Parts: sequence; structure tokens; C-alpha cells
Amino acid sequence: MALRVDYIAKETGNNLIRNPSLTIATVLTVALSLSLLGAALLLQRGVDGLNTRFKDDIEFIVWVQPDAAQEQIDLVQRSLDESSSVSDYRFVNREETFTEFREFWADSPEVIDAVGPDELPTSFRVVPVVPDLALVQALGSEFEDLPGVLKVDFASEYIKQLNDFTNVASRVMIGAAIASALASSMLMYNTIRTALFARRREVEVMRLVGASNTFIRIPFMLEGLMQGLFGAAFSVLSVFALNRALRGLIEKTDFQLLDSFALPSGDLWQISIWLLVAGTLIGFIGSGIAVSRYLDA
Amino acid sequence: MIKLENVTKEYPGHSVALKEADADIAKGEFVFLVGPSGSGKSTFLRLINKQEDPDDGRIFVAGKDIGQLSSWKVPMLRRNIGSVFQDFKLLPNKTVGENVSFALEVIGRPKNVIKTQVPAICELVGLGDKVDKYPHQLSGGEQQRVSIARAFVNRPLILLADEPTGNLDPQTAIGIMRLLDRINKTGTTVVMATHDRGIVDTMRRRVIELADGLIVRDQAQGVYE
Repeated sequence: MALRVDYIAKETGNNLIRNPSLTIATVLTVALSLSLLGAALLLQRGVDGLNTRFKDDIEFIVWVQPDAAQEQIDLVQRSLDESSSVSDYRFVNREETFTEFREFWADSPEVIDAVGPDELPTSFRVVPVVPDLALVQALGSEFEDLPGVLKVDFASEYIKQLNDFTNVASRVMIGAAIASALASSMLMYNTIRTALFARRREVEVMRLVGASNTFIRIPFMLEGLMQGLFGAAFSVLSVFALNRALRGLIEKTDFQLLDSFALPSGDLWQISIWLLVAGTLIGFIGSGIAVSRYLDA
Repeated sequence: MIKLENVTKEYPGHSVALKEADADIAKGEFVFLVGPSGSGKSTFLRLINKQEDPDDGRIFVAGKDIGQLSSWKVPMLRRNIGSVFQDFKLLPNKTVGENVSFALEVIGRPKNVIKTQVPAICELVGLGDKVDKYPHQLSGGEQQRVSIARAFVNRPLILLADEPTGNLDPQTAIGIMRLLDRINKTGTTVVMATHDRGIVDTMRRRVIELADGLIVRDQAQGVYE
């Protein structure tokens, strides 16, 4: 058996370097398609993270005009109390609002200096019973027309927009990934077919002297698998690089909402495993079809 | 050892390659297949090691109906049948020794067996001093000896030879025939398709003559025609 391992390793290696341009082209196509897939998965994970983070407290904010009378504020509070769709709310008074405001503009003292607590609107932070986006929006707009209400802000609206955008983006990327995975499978098929053609004399002799079908196939299948795996390895690198770039970008902009798009390394490894599996599959399918078409005839 | 029962083989778009052929070749026999080109000699040989399957009839090798053989067992059949061709089918990037050991390597023979068998068989075919030469450094006769060594290194029960002397001058051909005769004397059944009248008439072995796919003559100690 030791001999067989030698032989298979030697033959697979020779196949891989016999036609370097084709091997490189195949590996690169696989790498490209899997990088796209990896990026799509990365984005998907980011959106998932975003959603779980905001699911528990999809809230909206009812801003009250800074100069609203106390009765007007009481009216808003009463309607919140009466509404069966509101599970909880919290009044944020002037002091708290000002504290938040100062935290938000901490980097720009001139803004803080220009604004006094009296000029800021107070607000109700409302947690609805059903955390469904459409329902929350319907509910929120009920309060919009009450006297003294400045406007109603939905925390979820930004998330929804981001969600929509990333969903479209990841769908486009997955589509492109599938198309290029098909392309790389076909290229793989042709690469293996070329390898089979280059080795047709050996294959003919092997059949004549009674080498088993498995034995003849293994080096070619392995060649495909190796190319798929090499390509996948490249795509793993590019996913890690992409995540790093994203993290850098998010940290620089200090935009907390996007935190979930910088994935922890556990998630990255999980994506990597998927990519390696996909690479193996591409190699297996491409070379498998070539081998069964041209060796079993 | 080899038995054909009512075997018919047709190639689509061509005439019948073999028609209701019956033949029974005993162990250790040496048989010449003669007849013009396209008379079915090669088909006869290709059917025996299951490179082709008959459209009709049955073929037995060593008592087994090879039509019943499942595809994964075909390699086992071929390990018992050596093949030699007019064009040698040597691998040009391998030396004599490597060409011969390739046949053992790919059927998973252990290294120590290969190490002893290969030099021995090269010696037997008269190429003991050319083990490290490449095919292009050899004459046609020498190349055919390598191909015979490769076919015989696994000690097959049967040796099929398709015009093994077709590319060789008469003097060299005689050398090859002596070698095949020696192999036959070890008990290996030899079936050889040939056009070489001189060889057939000199050796006086069993002759099966084919014409348009029909066996028209089966004669012990026969002549070419």
C-alpha cells in the first residue's frame, strides 16, 4: 500500500505541474467564485447579527417639542398607557437628553457650548408588544399627530434600509458566486480532460495490464480536488482580509450600528469551512464528470 | 483456456467483424490468426480481454464466462492476459525498466517483487544491458522486446499479440518469434494475429483463418494458406 500512496502522490503532483497555466487558471477561477461566496456569507452573517441585536428592542422614539406644555406631554403619556400595543416606555427628560447629547457630540465641544438643555426635545422611548417592523411603524405613526409631538423616529428604519441593501447585495453576490462556481466546475472539467488526454498512453497501458478503475481514476480526481482546495484556500484568505478591512472601516467611522459586520473569528472559521467544502465539491464534480466521461467509455 | 461460442460482433456502420465464430483454444497452445485486413483478427483478440463485448454468443476464459464478469472484475481478467501490439505502446518518457515496472506498479505489486522481477524479465527478453535506455534509443525489435517483457512480467496465462512483427524486418521478426515461442514453452497460451506468411509457414502451428468475419479454416500445424 505504501507504494500506492507514493505513486498516487507522484502522479497527482506531476499532473498539477504538467500544465501550469491551466492549473493556475482553474485555481484562480475557483478562488474568485469562492471569494464572492465568502463575501456574500460575510454580509449575510453581518445582517443576521444586526437583526438579533435589534430584535429584542425594536423601539421607536416619540420626540416632544422642546416648548411643549406639560398637558401635551401628559396627553402623549396617557395615550401610551392606554395603547394595548405598547409593552413599555420610558420618558427621557431634559437632563438625560442633554447628557446623551453631550456624549454624542463629545468630540465637538463647540456644539455642546452652543446648545442649552432647554433647547433640546424630550422624548418617550417606546417598546412595542409585537416587534414586527410594519406593526411598529403603524403604531408609531398614531402618535405622530398628537399635539406637541415633534416627530416619531424608528430605530428600525435604518436597520430595515441596511437590511434591504445588504440583502440585495448578498443575493447579487451569491448569484455571481453560483455562476462563477459553474464556470469553475466547467473549467475544472476541461482541465482534467486535458490531463486525461495528456496521459492517454499511460491510461491505455494501465487498462491493458489490469489496473483497477479506481487506481486509474484517483490521481485525476485528486488533481481536481487539490485545485478546488487551493482555490478555496485563497478565498479563505480573501474573506479574512475583507473582514479585516471592514473592521478597520467600522472602527474608523465609529458607527456602532455596523459593529456586527465585523465578525468574530469563530464565524470566519465557520465560513472558511463552508468555502473549503465548496471548493472540494467543485473539484470533485468537475473532475468526476471528466473522469467518468472519458475513462469509462 | 479460451473458448468462443457462436460469437458475433458488429460495428455500427461497418460490415460484420466476427460472425458466429466458434473456437476452442487449449492451455499452452500457440495459435496464429490469419486473414486479410478487416477480416476480424483484431476483434477476435479484443474480445478475449474484454476490450470489446460481443453482440451475441459467449466467450470463456479459463473456464469463466467473461460476459458475466462485472466491470470491476475486468482488471483481474486482464492481469491474466498479456497484450503485445504492432506499435509497441511503450511510454516514451519512461526507461525500459520503468516501462516494465509500470505494469506491476499499477496493479499494486509490492516494491520488492518489482525489484526482482523487472531485471529478470529484461534479462529473459535479451535487454539486460538496456534497462536504463529510453524507447527512442532502441531499435524496433528491441522496443518490441520491451513490450513483450511488459506483457509477460506478470506471468499471464494468455499472451495476445496483434501483428507483433508488422513493423519489423524479417531478421528481427525471427528473433521476436523465438521469444514468443520460449514464452509459449513456459505454458503460456499465445494467440497471434499476423500477416507474415513466412513466419506462419516456418513455425507450423495451429492456424485459424478469418475472412469477412467468418472462420474459414482451423488447422493444426497449418500454413498461411
